[in-house]
Amino acid sequence: MAEKLGNERPKTPEALKFYFTPVDPPRGDELNPHAKATTYVPEVVEALKERFGDVIEEVELYAGEHTVRVHTDKIVEVCRFLKEEQGFNYLADLGGIDRFTDEGRFEVFYNLVAIERRKRIRLKVRVEEDNPVVPSVTSVYRAANWNERECYDMFGIRFEGHPDLRRMYMPEDFEYHPLRKEFPLLGIPGSLPLPPQTPGGPLTYDPFARAHGHVPPPGFEEPPAEDEERSEH
Amino acid sequence: MSTAPNFVGPDRHGLFNFWPRHNEAIYRRLETKHAWLETRHHPGGDGQPDPLEHEMILNIGPQHPATHGVLRCIVKLDGEVMEKCVLDLGYLHRGLEKVAEHKTYQEFMPYTDRMDYLSPYSNNVAWCLAVEKVAGIEVPERAQWIRMIMCELARISSHLLWLGVGLMDAGAVSVFLWAFKYREEIYSIFDEVCGARFTVSHSRIGGLASDLSPTAIAMIRRFVEEFPKELADWEKIINRNKIWIDRNEGIGVLTAEEAIELGVTGPNLRGSGVDYDIRRFEPYLKYDEVDFNIPIRTEGDSLARYFVRMEEMKESVRIIRQCLERLPEGPIRNDNAKLAYPSKEEVYYAMEGMIHDFLYTDVGVCPPKGAHSYHAIEAPKGELGFYIISDGTGNPWRVRIKAPSFSNLQGLEYMMEGAMIGDMVILIGTVDPVMGEADK
Amino acid sequence: MLDLREGFLTTRLDVVLNWARSNSLMPMPMGLACCAIEMMAFAGPKYDVARFGSEAMRFSPRQADLMIVAGWCTYKMAHAIRRIWDQMPDPKWCIAMGACASTGGMHRCYGVVQGVDNFLPVDVYIPGCPPRPEAVLHALMDIQEKIRNEYSVALDYARGEPRPAALPARPHVLSPEGDEPVAREVLHRPLKST
Repeated sequence: MAEKLGNERPKTPEALKFYFTPVDPPRGDELNPHAKATTYVPEVVEALKERFGDVIEEVELYAGEHTVRVHTDKIVEVCRFLKEEQGFNYLADLGGIDRFTDEGRFEVFYNLVAIERRKRIRLKVRVEEDNPVVPSVTSVYRAANWNERECYDMFGIRFEGHPDLRRMYMPEDFEYHPLRKEFPLLGIPGSLPLPPQTPGGPLTYDPFARAHGHVPPPGFEEPPAEDEERSEH
Repeated sequence: MSTAPNFVGPDRHGLFNFWPRHNEAIYRRLETKHAWLETRHHPGGDGQPDPLEHEMILNIGPQHPATHGVLRCIVKLDGEVMEKCVLDLGYLHRGLEKVAEHKTYQEFMPYTDRMDYLSPYSNNVAWCLAVEKVAGIEVPERAQWIRMIMCELARISSHLLWLGVGLMDAGAVSVFLWAFKYREEIYSIFDEVCGARFTVSHSRIGGLASDLSPTAIAMIRRFVEEFPKELADWEKIINRNKIWIDRNEGIGVLTAEEAIELGVTGPNLRGSGVDYDIRRFEPYLKYDEVDFNIPIRTEGDSLARYFVRMEEMKESVRIIRQCLERLPEGPIRNDNAKLAYPSKEEVYYAMEGMIHDFLYTDVGVCPPKGAHSYHAIEAPKGELGFYIISDGTGNPWRVRIKAPSFSNLQGLEYMMEGAMIGDMVILIGTVDPVMGEADK
Repeated sequence: MLDLREGFLTTRLDVVLNWARSNSLMPMPMGLACCAIEMMAFAGPKYDVARFGSEAMRFSPRQADLMIVAGWCTYKMAHAIRRIWDQMPDPKWCIAMGACASTGGMHRCYGVVQGVDNFLPVDVYIPGCPPRPEAVLHALMDIQEKIRNEYSVALDYARGEPRPAALPARPHVLSPEGDEPVAREVLHRPLKST
């Protein structure tokens, strides 16, 4: 291998010679330089398999991280087992994934942390597109509340047993679920109205009003008093 | 005039009162939310009407000087006590997770800057580390040490802003000016290193964009020498200030179990006695080779979090000193041109370098199809993590941003109930949310 | 002299009024996101905005006359911003600070309004992400220039007459020889053909 150029100006033409770097595929296995010991939890996976048997549908290991896919109906029991018996008492994150496949379109993942034991594990459940309902784990982890609301907002996945399933970020008047793959990045024009161009006027439904020539008038005029007519402009 | 004038009332004669269904849903939630405080304050209860009409629904925000950004709190007040509170987020929602699906990994870097915009360098490093984990990219030593220095500087910068704004909200405006003076010093350092004051996108996947110049190192050294003395001066005033202590003691108490249950993170957890810091839990960069303490307090109130953050600033200075001593020489980026940008000399003077540069910008890193991993760092606000799912192309399939402020705000909703309205400002300051991150 | 249309006294009164208005702008910081941090820096000790008369950052719209929209504006927030703009009394000006407020910036997505000028009449746009505080100061000075060229008294209360557009700010262009301002006609001279 050539000497490293570092950040100095190369002084001779030979120093500029570019050596073709080897085409190593990126490594994702345990020899990943960023893999941590906290995410490698075979004993917890074994305990889960022993206790729940075929509720555990799939176990993946990538970059030293264990991901356990669980049958959707049993997620609450699995979470309760992990929390009470295995010590995973902290829910770090919960979110949805849109796989955009015909079957099992949506997935919901749960990142759990056992603070005392210094372990992390990820659980996943899979739901269909036509009936995306997942039992809510708010009874086990109170921190799941807002995360499940956000998942509902972004994907449309309903959580059964959630105390307050409202939209998190988008206003309730919004009819779509933005993180689904078929929702366009720029949104659907007219789905979110803009404020009126003059106070008391109609809402602006065109998101590019200025580009289309609807310039909001500068507010130099005071609104007329009750009995005076507005002067012509 | 014999008839009374007909003023347009607050509902503007039935005109759009923005997002009517949204507001109805919020008020409905406020009605149905379980408030154990109600039985406490109206022990006679049983549906008797409130004769003095103590109860009031107050809407604070989204534009408010003290809400640290655009946070809307709808609060049901009983006199001065907040019985129920509903926080409304989404006033800064951009859909970053959706944007990420359309950008390459390197193109998404500036978006991460603007998430927690008080300490942008931490977010850059978090994203780089997450992508490096998914794609299995090694980072050279010098880059890791420099990233540590800059992350800790960003942590000091973020805590300085918290200090300044928190005390300004409580009334002491001078601290805001002092804090900003040192923030400007940190901005000058970032300017020298990265070219931008904040919202730098200095980290690259596989390393850094450019190296530290000797001027930059001198500036960092000078900062590290001057800052602890100033901090000690401020502490002499603030720690003995009766007003500050009275305003913060016993406010927003979270026991350790409550903190874990609510999912709060960062100094909020550590102020309640939970020993959870990603730098010790899952060391990344070179934090396992550096000697520093994690400040932890057990009281769980706002004052405890204040002390935790002040101590964290001192520990950050300690870490920067050690990093400056141990900074090794070497390259600052991975040399595999499929995984990281080639150096500028290679790009300008060699054909393969130019092709690799083009391809890297156009296509980028391609982690294996189906690869997914999560990497978290200890941002100043808490655990900031990215869960990346790759589909084999240069654009991620799904990026999930675990924002610490989102979890902390969930805790805030719990803390606000039972507190007085005058404490609301202190509570928001002590939780230190950044709305750009909470709303993504 | 007392003629409402550009009489001597009314234009002098205009000058005084505009001088007072421009040197005591009270910004209402609509600080939404990262640009708000730069706006705090612009009000901070190093790039002090108090020396321009804008020390009083009034968070109440009723007491302010300059709204600085700093940060990206979402559709959800737009209505709140418009309502606050409507609550501000005349005369009022608006600065769109940063790329996100001007055009939506890097956030070309469903949640962000692509430019606050779609519902607010913006006077000055500041590019940058975030703009340096010096750029915000420059914008403030541009607004001051704009105010100084406005008709405040003259023609203000003339009902039934259209208000003429404010004169554009006069650039102070110095001639190569000395420091006399160059006349506008000279600036638009065609290029010499060689």
